[in-house]
Amino acid sequence: MADSVFLTVNGERHEIHAAPDTPLLTVLRNDLRLNGPKFGCGLGECGACTVLLDGRAARSCVIRLDTAAACTSIVTLEGLSPDGSDPVQRAFVKAQAAQCGYCLNGMVMTLRAFLDAVDQPDRAALKEALRYNLCRCGTHVEIMKAACIAAGLSEGEP
Amino acid sequence: MAQPVPPAGSLSIFRPAQPPKGLAARGGFIPRDEIFLRITSDDQVRAFCGHVDLGTGIATALAQIVAEELDASPARVQMVLGHTETTPDQGATIASETIQVTAIPLRRAAAQARRILLERASTLTGRPVDTLAIRDGVLVCEPPLPNLSYRIGDLIGGVTLHVLLDDTVTVKKTSEYRLVGRDMPRVDIPAKVTGRAVYVHDVRVEGMLHARVVRPPYDGYDHGPYVGRSLRAVDRQSVRHVPGLVDVVVLGDFVGVVAEREEQAIEAARLLQVEWAPVALPDLSDPEAAIGNNPATPRVVLDRGQLEEGLEAATTRLDREYLWPYQMHGSIGPSCSVADWQGGKLTVWSGTQNPHMLRADLALLMGIPTSEIKVIRHEAAGCYGRNCADDVGGDAALLSRAVGRPVRVQLSREQEHVWEPKGAAQLVRIRGGLNAAGQPVAYDLDTSYPSNVSPLLALVLTGVVPAEVPPVAQMGDRTSVPPYDYPNARITVQDMPPIARASWFRGVSALPNSFAHDSYIDELATAAGADPLEYRLEHLKDQRAADLLKATASRAGWTRRTGPPSVDPAASVLKGRGLAYAQYVHGTFPGTAAAWSAWVADVEVNRHSGVVSVTRAVVGQDAGMMVNPAGVRHQLHGNVIQSTSRILHEQVQFDEKGVESRDWGTYPILTFPELPVIEPLLMERQDQPPLGAGESASVPSAAAIANALYAATGVRFREVPFTPEKVKAQLDAALGPLQPSPPQPLPALAITGKAAHPAMAAATLGAKLRKGAFAAGFAAIGGMMATLIPWRPAIAPASPPTPGLFSEAAIARGAKVAAAGDCAVCHTAPGGVTNAGGFALETPFGVVHTTNLTPDPQTGLGAWSYEAFARAMRHGISRDGHNLYPAFPYTAFAKTSEEDMRDLYAYLMSQTPVSNQVPKTALRFPYSLRFSMAGWNMLFHDPAPFRPDPAQSAQWNRGAYLAEGLGHCSACHTPRNAMGAERWKTAYLTGGEAEGWTAPALGSLSHAPLPWSEDDLYAYLRTGFSPNHGPAGGPMAPVVHSMAALPDTDVRAIAHYIASFDRRNAPEGADGRRADILEKTRDRQSLSRGEGSRIYNGSCASCHEGEGAHLFGARPQLSLNSNIWADTPDNLITVILNGVPAPAFRHESTMPAFGKVMSDRQIAELVGYLRHTMAPGRAAWTDLPAHVARIRAQGGH
Repeated sequence: MADSVFLTVNGERHEIHAAPDTPLLTVLRNDLRLNGPKFGCGLGECGACTVLLDGRAARSCVIRLDTAAACTSIVTLEGLSPDGSDPVQRAFVKAQAAQCGYCLNGMVMTLRAFLDAVDQPDRAALKEALRYNLCRCGTHVEIMKAACIAAGLSEGEP
Repeated sequence: MAQPVPPAGSLSIFRPAQPPKGLAARGGFIPRDEIFLRITSDDQVRAFCGHVDLGTGIATALAQIVAEELDASPARVQMVLGHTETTPDQGATIASETIQVTAIPLRRAAAQARRILLERASTLTGRPVDTLAIRDGVLVCEPPLPNLSYRIGDLIGGVTLHVLLDDTVTVKKTSEYRLVGRDMPRVDIPAKVTGRAVYVHDVRVEGMLHARVVRPPYDGYDHGPYVGRSLRAVDRQSVRHVPGLVDVVVLGDFVGVVAEREEQAIEAARLLQVEWAPVALPDLSDPEAAIGNNPATPRVVLDRGQLEEGLEAATTRLDREYLWPYQMHGSIGPSCSVADWQGGKLTVWSGTQNPHMLRADLALLMGIPTSEIKVIRHEAAGCYGRNCADDVGGDAALLSRAVGRPVRVQLSREQEHVWEPKGAAQLVRIRGGLNAAGQPVAYDLDTSYPSNVSPLLALVLTGVVPAEVPPVAQMGDRTSVPPYDYPNARITVQDMPPIARASWFRGVSALPNSFAHDSYIDELATAAGADPLEYRLEHLKDQRAADLLKATASRAGWTRRTGPPSVDPAASVLKGRGLAYAQYVHGTFPGTAAAWSAWVADVEVNRHSGVVSVTRAVVGQDAGMMVNPAGVRHQLHGNVIQSTSRILHEQVQFDEKGVESRDWGTYPILTFPELPVIEPLLMERQDQPPLGAGESASVPSAAAIANALYAATGVRFREVPFTPEKVKAQLDAALGPLQPSPPQPLPALAITGKAAHPAMAAATLGAKLRKGAFAAGFAAIGGMMATLIPWRPAIAPASPPTPGLFSEAAIARGAKVAAAGDCAVCHTAPGGVTNAGGFALETPFGVVHTTNLTPDPQTGLGAWSYEAFARAMRHGISRDGHNLYPAFPYTAFAKTSEEDMRDLYAYLMSQTPVSNQVPKTALRFPYSLRFSMAGWNMLFHDPAPFRPDPAQSAQWNRGAYLAEGLGHCSACHTPRNAMGAERWKTAYLTGGEAEGWTAPALGSLSHAPLPWSEDDLYAYLRTGFSPNHGPAGGPMAPVVHSMAALPDTDVRAIAHYIASFDRRNAPEGADGRRADILEKTRDRQSLSRGEGSRIYNGSCASCHEGEGAHLFGARPQLSLNSNIWADTPDNLITVILNGVPAPAFRHESTMPAFGKVMSDRQIAELVGYLRHTMAPGRAAWTDLPAHVARIRAQGGH
């Protein structure tokens, strides 16, 4: 395959040999062997594949490789911190906010982008921020608790 | 199979394998010693369980049990779950029985190991056993041992102990527990938040290939005469060109494609042409009728008292019917598996719930003994019963054997939705009644649940297991016996085969059965004039149940009430509270009881929209002893949320093609803003045996919500789900319709001033497309003209220009001219070399194949002199003298200046020559007569160069030169007459067509809800996206790409010129109008909550709603998009069907093609909803399903 682009993922530059319309998710998982972003729908509906493109939450299943290559930085769950020390990751452990954990990547990454962009959100804003991230196990209570911890809110009722 | 050899320096507790019991146990039993616990001298404790962790945290609780009995540190205990080589065969991970049943031998093994270790310690230290103990894995002694410390591994040393499990071993009393019963953090979460956890989706094996399956057209059915017998032909040629393709594998109705890379497999699966025989599927559009017609064998599980006499004695008869829909597990991660076939042995990495049963199925499928198969279980996405049929394991095995390499199979979201075995629909009928004293005198329940233990799909698709007649399983009897002490009662379970593919789903048949039981007793209480709580307590003989119900009601603040509620028919919001109770009984009747559960639910009903919200759920549970209360609480939360979602939203739709719900829009689930406040109440029963807690809290959910709905509205809802349209219709019928406030129209835009272009001025007076005005006579006129006009001569071939003939500056200028003219847009085939031609351009007169513009002497422009080139550009005459079709817009290019024309020639002739013979264009008669174009030119072509308008600014004239000439905007945006000529004089830029798309009007006739300002146009043309209008899509996307080479001043000039025609303006200002449109859209969205709303919110809104600063890329607001406001729905439908695979805007996601996801009916619902809510004041589109079918039939654009 002749096509080749460069991606900067979690601070490292990688040369990728793939067609320009390859979904970014496929490249991250298969070429870079990253497990954080998950395939959930391929339709941009569930959020399980969320990564940060230039600091903003993006659904990597509907991002083309050439679009991603035009970004300065791509950060996956692995790149937030190698040891789980990012405050959002810590909040998820503290709140025990996972059952199966498959959607967790999307929750963490969406909240990371949201908290970077929005000052002092309230609970309603956090719920809105997660509206299009789907969880089937029903971990919403614990995820909201994690979101509140990460946002510096008292946990209280969701 | 060889017995496992224990390693030196280890203590193992084992027992000979026992065949697992239960309905789900099938085949594959291998006699061998099964290890439950192994402690090695390096101080490692491994505990083995045949069940798996489905995301419930069971691994944490099991480790807690082992650590407790062993007195080890829980952190030292490593749980090994569901690996066929190493873990015991303990049957399927179902019915929430891991703690209740499966953990028993594990617990005993740990207790036994502790006893053995202490005996060894006694020998080692010379101290009596009763003076020794283990604490956190370290030997302690009273009095202490001087200067000696033993960890449990040290107590084993170099010996090898292989000890038979002693089922009589004494385990700890609950009063001695130090670990069990305490909240314990989950062991798996730290790895999951950092991406270190390896789910089955993350398994990568050396040399692994990627595969997709192509499933047969009986979507979501796994039995019937057509299953395994419907494949007619597979056209391998259809995918031969896909790079990386390894193989197309066909076995009966099983079809798979294998490729080096995943995206290649996806592409091959998309393109593979497979011919299937037509199949006639059962009609499931009406599940009640389908269940009624399904063959059934009645099984009476309870017959108490004198039912018929009781019925006759009833003074108040209540005969009721309850209907549950087909529902999905809806796992967030579509199924995935990896298989490696090596020399007759198979290894499968799987997310199955039942590794040993999967192994048996794989043995059958592959025709090899189970001893040759290893199933390695990894965590998968939560599956709630779905992974009892881990179909992908069979798929991967077949594909790996076919290609001789490890293969990973991943289902698409649509395949997961369609093929997962559903939670079956259920029909429950109750006959019964009250005597004059308000006491129940009869209860005759009849329940039908068409489900079985769905077979591994590969077994039936390949025909290895015949699928004509499905096996019948006894699955409808879960919690079929009511908890209430009805004196005369009969419970009949109609055992029946599945209709659609069905299997276990959380709560199985107990959830619908309890929906009936506890809705019914609520009705009895009301009819008896009794308080629902007191009435239940009166008839609930189980003391723990009564205690739980009382405690839960008390926590919720239940207030006594009797009789029907009083409901204000004029209220906008109605509120109510309901309760319900159930005990989940799993396993075939009489089954095993799991935890008790009670609910008090508060609901709010919006009368205008019909939306039901569960605002609070107080849920009590008595699970006996809780190993990890935190885990139990978490499961309770999950059950409340998932069951609330099922009751409010979820129903699988079926059409004649099978399962119609294929994504999260067509099968929506609960979202964060809908989250109820959940108050769990866990009964303190640590002295009682543990009971399954994984499903119980879901079982009373539906009745509690239905009873709360009744309390709010006075209306009984007996069909799940309680969707807004269903609730609204029932409430409007019962309470009378609530008069909605009339929707406010959007103020009309004012038109001021006069368009600057004379043609445009005429157009704004109301010229309309007059298709067919010149309906006849084309050939006649053309033929006549041909006789009058001299034939244009060929221009002799020229030698290709030598390198260096053109200056670098001229070539660079020419590149910009080419960009302005969008040459490459039409003269480049998909995936082809730029300007090498071969693009098939659809026109109303047939397909035009664009020509090769590279300087190749044989197939391109290599032999064209400048004179020939300029003649073609200005007069539409090819070098050899034949007429070109005006699909090549020489009518516009004629306006190009001489300088630009020469630069363009310089650029084109300096490209690398590419030999590309494009197909000859062959239009339909009479357009096939090229000479007739000469006459056409006389009628319609003005070859005069561009003449600036002295009344206008230089910028305007520059824009006009580019837009009217090279840019040829009007080629698409001006309607054409019947002979294909643009109607410049009467309808300039008032909207035309391009490649099957509608090119919208650009002036004051535009339907865009906001006027196009110069800034809007500039942003749109420069970046591909205007926040006030949306993205460039369809054929405009490549135009924007092409224009990227133009300088800002030229793009600005074009924007200035085009904007001068839109004389509309908003009296409230563009920002005010924009805000007004968005607000009106929100108002309409909040009231319009049917299927279109669900699809929009689940499939579209994640990218189209909200403009959060934290979100990447453009967020196109559909209410501002002119396609929603257009006269026809064609563009909107086209985009939905085909998506936007290559967006114009640099920071934008692609849009998926929803044509593969949604049916015509669903897209029609969505389009109707978008029009209604987002284009206030525009008339509804009609016949939408037919429009969708028509555009789908036309294929991709």
